[in-house]
Amino acid sequence: MSRKNNSPAGKRVLELVRGNAVPIMFIIICAIFIPLSGFSPSYLINEIVTRMGRNLFLVLCLLFPIMAGMGLNFAMTLGAMAAEIAIIFTADWQIWGIPGVVLAMILSIPFSILLGWLCGNLLNMAKGREMITSYIMNFFITGWYQLVVLYMMGSIIPIIHSSIKLPRGYGIRNTVSLLNMRQCLDDLLAIRVKGVKIPVLTFLLIGLLCLFIVWFRRTKLGQDMRAVGQDMQVARDAGIKVERTRVLSIVMSTVFAGFGMVIYLQNIGNLPAYTGHSQIGMFCIAALLVGGASVEKATIGNAFLGVVLFHLMFIVAPAAGGVITGDSMVGEYFRVFLSYGVITLALIMYETKKRMAKSKAGQELAEAQAKEEAAQ
Amino acid sequence: MKSTRRIFVSLLLVLVLAGVAATMMVIGRGHTLYFDNKTLEDYQGQTYKAAHKVVVTVKGEDVAKLGARERGSAIWIGQNFKMTLEITQEKGGEPEIREISLKLPYSVDGIVINLPALLAGLPEEAWFSEFVPAVTEEDPGAEEIPGEGDEFGLGDDLGLESDLGTGDI
Repeated sequence: MSRKNNSPAGKRVLELVRGNAVPIMFIIICAIFIPLSGFSPSYLINEIVTRMGRNLFLVLCLLFPIMAGMGLNFAMTLGAMAAEIAIIFTADWQIWGIPGVVLAMILSIPFSILLGWLCGNLLNMAKGREMITSYIMNFFITGWYQLVVLYMMGSIIPIIHSSIKLPRGYGIRNTVSLLNMRQCLDDLLAIRVKGVKIPVLTFLLIGLLCLFIVWFRRTKLGQDMRAVGQDMQVARDAGIKVERTRVLSIVMSTVFAGFGMVIYLQNIGNLPAYTGHSQIGMFCIAALLVGGASVEKATIGNAFLGVVLFHLMFIVAPAAGGVITGDSMVGEYFRVFLSYGVITLALIMYETKKRMAKSKAGQELAEAQAKEEAAQ
Repeated sequence: MKSTRRIFVSLLLVLVLAGVAATMMVIGRGHTLYFDNKTLEDYQGQTYKAAHKVVVTVKGEDVAKLGARERGSAIWIGQNFKMTLEITQEKGGEPEIREISLKLPYSVDGIVINLPALLAGLPEEAWFSEFVPAVTEEDPGAEEIPGEGDEFGLGDDLGLESDLGTGDI
């Protein structure tokens, strides 16, 4: 009797563990690493809050393509590049503080729309292989970005200030200082609770995006996106413009990624002109997956949990690595290994689940056919 | 009808965004201000002496405490600059407090203000000058540029001839 009662509960726990393997794994890693690292709770909370403000907006922009069934948008980097171009102009025109942030966000919109539209159309030509296509698209556009920033800016595109230009007279320096914009969003309306700085305005912006996502899911376009994500053919039969919906989801993701990158850069306080965007896509996707999202399903909660766990691991891993091995570089390697590893693991798990479901469906169909034949 | 409305809304949105961007460009223009407490000599035959001590306060924050022949700086966003000066003309003298508002030119990044001339109420040409940063010669090759050089660390030599012994063929 007791065995009968325990079995479903055990199965449920197993299902729960199987469904949340990645977050559970990260919780265990963090639980081991936190005491080893020796960091105080207030330091960890401060760091986590800062990193949440810096990264959450970027991570949330990944939800739109997932909603439309296009998987993880590695091409969110395109929005980051658009934001970087906008920031370069803002820095050159000497627009500082909050107005500089707002101007950079507005300036990034046309670039993001153009790049998102290009990417969306390309992904429509590569249905079923969106993730690898968007990943390669990212490298392709990086080449164009370098051409514009390295050769056209200062020669064809006017750049006035020599502090931004390379010594040769054209092209942008490796690092552009955003000192006069640094943490202007984070500091405005910021409050301190027991030594922990809470960037209220940044969190308000993140909250607004969350509300927008919740509202958007209920709109006609949001419903269309979900329908397209579930089954493109059925959606098409229902009269939904599948291609247009998919392009829109990528455009929205790219535009919000641009906004997110501006928030990220104002927090950092400088712009690494050629490398700033390169890791953004990878780390945001890893954070989302760590939060328990999959290629076909992601929620706002996944984004929050993912950023907390992923960045907690990022903070404690080098120090813990230093304690375990005597070399903090091992911890550094470990966190890089983990961030790529978690993407690989999530993709493998997704593919395995898909294949298992397919084979189970096949088995059920075969059994049904066998039963039908036996009945005849 | 629906498409006309959509175009109208899109145009309106673009206009609003352009308006906000233009406003941000005006109100967000940053300037660096340099305050010189330096004697202005021979301006229209007169000399305006530097004060013993000037404390410059911008937005409630003391940004510079200047003795004679000293320079301080502050940053300001926007064109309507306001500062409070606490001026002590002679050593041991009573400080005088003056509120000063200035209209900054949009196109100038760095502005040098000669305080004795400004306090004497002289015209703008006497106290205003543009700050021109000193040009430092930089080696054009000093900064590593992405895309240049060899990413794989092979250099010019791919090592084929020596390694495979194909040099003799």
